[in-house]
Amino acid sequence: MQPSIEPILEKFPNKQREDLIPLLQKIQDEFGFLSEEIITRVGAYLSISVNKIYGVATFYDNFRFGPVGRYHIRLCQGTACHVAGSTTLLQELEKQLKIKSGETDKEGLFSLEVVSCVGACGLAPLIEINGEYFTGLTLSKLTDILNSIREKDQTVYES
Amino acid sequence: MDFQIAVNNSLVDVREGETLLTALRRQGIKVPTLCHMNRFSPTGACRLCVVEVEGKRDLITSCSYPVEKGMKVFTNTQRVIKARKLIVEMLLSNHPDDCLYCERNGNCELQWLADEMNVKERKFFAKKNPYFPDGSSTSVFRDPAKCVLCSRCVRICEETQLVTAIDFISRGNQMRVNSAFNKGLNVSSCINCGQCIMVCPTGALTDISHIEKVQAAIDKKKKEVLFFVSPSVTASLAEHYGLKPEKNLGELICAALKKIGADKVFDLGMASDINILGEAKQLALRIKNGAQGPLFSSCCPSWVKYVEEFRPELIPSLATTKSPQQIFGKLLKTWYTKQRKVMPDSLYSVAVMPCVGKKFEASREEMTHKGISEVDAVLTIRELMRMIRTNGIDLRNLEPVPFDEPFQGCSAAAWKLGYAGGKAEAVAQELFESMKTSDKETFKFIMPKNIAGRRESKLTIGKKTFGFAWVSGIEKANSYINQLIDQGRTDIHYVEVMACLEGCAGGGGQPINRLPEKPRNRKKICQDMEKINHWANASENSSLEKLNRSLKNSPDVDNPETYFHTHFQPREVLK
Ligand code: SF4
Ligand code: SF4
Ligand code: FES
Ligand code: FES
Repeated sequence: MQPSIEPILEKFPNKQREDLIPLLQKIQDEFGFLSEEIITRVGAYLSISVNKIYGVATFYDNFRFGPVGRYHIRLCQGTACHVAGSTTLLQELEKQLKIKSGETDKEGLFSLEVVSCVGACGLAPLIEINGEYFTGLTLSKLTDILNSIREKDQTVYES
Repeated sequence: MDFQIAVNNSLVDVREGETLLTALRRQGIKVPTLCHMNRFSPTGACRLCVVEVEGKRDLITSCSYPVEKGMKVFTNTQRVIKARKLIVEMLLSNHPDDCLYCERNGNCELQWLADEMNVKERKFFAKKNPYFPDGSSTSVFRDPAKCVLCSRCVRICEETQLVTAIDFISRGNQMRVNSAFNKGLNVSSCINCGQCIMVCPTGALTDISHIEKVQAAIDKKKKEVLFFVSPSVTASLAEHYGLKPEKNLGELICAALKKIGADKVFDLGMASDINILGEAKQLALRIKNGAQGPLFSSCCPSWVKYVEEFRPELIPSLATTKSPQQIFGKLLKTWYTKQRKVMPDSLYSVAVMPCVGKKFEASREEMTHKGISEVDAVLTIRELMRMIRTNGIDLRNLEPVPFDEPFQGCSAAAWKLGYAGGKAEAVAQELFESMKTSDKETFKFIMPKNIAGRRESKLTIGKKTFGFAWVSGIEKANSYINQLIDQGRTDIHYVEVMACLEGCAGGGGQPINRLPEKPRNRKKICQDMEKINHWANASENSSLEKLNRSLKNSPDVDNPETYFHTHFQPREVLK
């Protein structure tokens, strides 16, 4: 059973259209993502159509519509990382994981998010996985990282 | 006119506060537009309508810029033309270019723009957008690859219809129009009105076509293929092909359908008469029982779906009489089969309607009995016109062929269903016929001039007065109903609601062209046909009497009172 979003809704008693983004933000901070049920409930609360909310929410990069994977990859696309080749990394990630930014793979192992500069430009290009940074990346380093995570995940499940 | 501005070096009269585009168009100066929609606030999004204004560094969008005193405007400088051409080239950069296979081939604003801007080659190569077509709906087919993101569908769905079934998702080069959670129109709140199809400049929004299955039924020759044609279809075809409103107008359509391969062609109008009489009877009953609030018409399937989704509290106030299409379908698949001594599944029934929502209506569960649907296929006017073209038929040079028995003939009232307000008048007339106290009383139903998209009229019978209203477009209907409730009004007894502006004359299955006079012309033809009609109103239709007698004795009709009735239920959708 999911905990209720009602306490968060109560913090927005005016039910204004302008409340939408901060409200979604709060919900996402607490629940990690915006589910269909949540969006429907928010729509009813603010009297905004779910499609409008979905449209607005997809406009921003930082909203997710499904739970993150056990390994949540955040790829920096800030200027320095971009110059250092992060777009190639992104393409490689999308290819290997078969997901796009904002999505989670079928097994629930990986999810992907593109973020802007995380303030470590000297170490570009980089990704962050569950709080751990992997810097100065190349395609082969990236593949190694993904493979070792897959292995680790296997052993966790087998033991 | 308030003052003058200079356009291409000549002086032009303009009105204070109007947009430059309005002023230019009045002068017959052609300015291309894409995101602009009449009667909607401008967005200035596509920038196709740019013009040069002396003293302004940037080109300005004429659709969103008001006229200013002393303005000097240039509409066709090289700079303007280059800018417009660039926009069109960008729009084409990810277009699929499969015009030859497109529904809108030859009637596409993007094709016209490319032609006008003299685009001769692909300048930019962008990745085609990877979004799959959505064929999940009963009525509307969406192909995002052909979308130019003009926003017209999104706006009409939200602002005119209050539905917001589709919206922009994501942004930048990921941006697309889609239903919520990319789930498909069938689970969305879409009411199948087809107004989005009518405004789409390209082939991104089209009918869910029934041409192929109808053609297959004709070719297989396993079943008898029965067409029935709505009077408003006849009116619209007459408008389109320039046929004169004469007594045998419908017989030309009948002749065309016979050539296409129909086994039988019927006039749907008789079912319209039945529908009118049914609703009038319900209205009389409601009045007698002193029920709260008005009775709402229910012959528009999109309005019905809107109520089921968004205003379920109104369900008890919807007339339960089936719509003309479903009355006819039911008659065919029950009573008619008995008359002909054939099995229901040996018949294939095809309705021809001015509406895409009717495709949805035909698919409703209540419209199917023991696995036999009342209506097997619904063709829009667009689809019929295509079949007429494919078969090389020239409607203007056909010998009329009378409609098939036994459903010949409808009253003038059946033609009234073709335009907004007609239904209310027809029902009022029948209420009058059933309640009038003496033959000296005459039916007076004065149509007041437009009051902001909705109209009201009073009907006096004896000492009693009844209020009738009609409103088209869901947003208008919704606010009108709210107003009735807020003001606690009890003087309105019947409300006709049509989801499409101007009713079926502006229906989502009508030919696509954005000429505002078209619906009015169609209405005019309906009204001309009323005048030359044999029976003035539904209850005068003497062929109904015969049918009713026969129905009463038919073993198929367990209860003649409920035979032509249906029911509605609240719907859970993403909304
Ligand atoms: S058919 Fe009507 S309700 Fe459905 S998406 Fe189009 S405009 Fe909206
Ligand atoms: S689907 Fe058609 S009307 Fe809608 S935004 Fe795309 S091009 Fe415009
Ligand atoms: S750009 Fe990637 S860390 Fe600054
Ligand atoms: S028509 Fe003026 S900006 Fe699109």
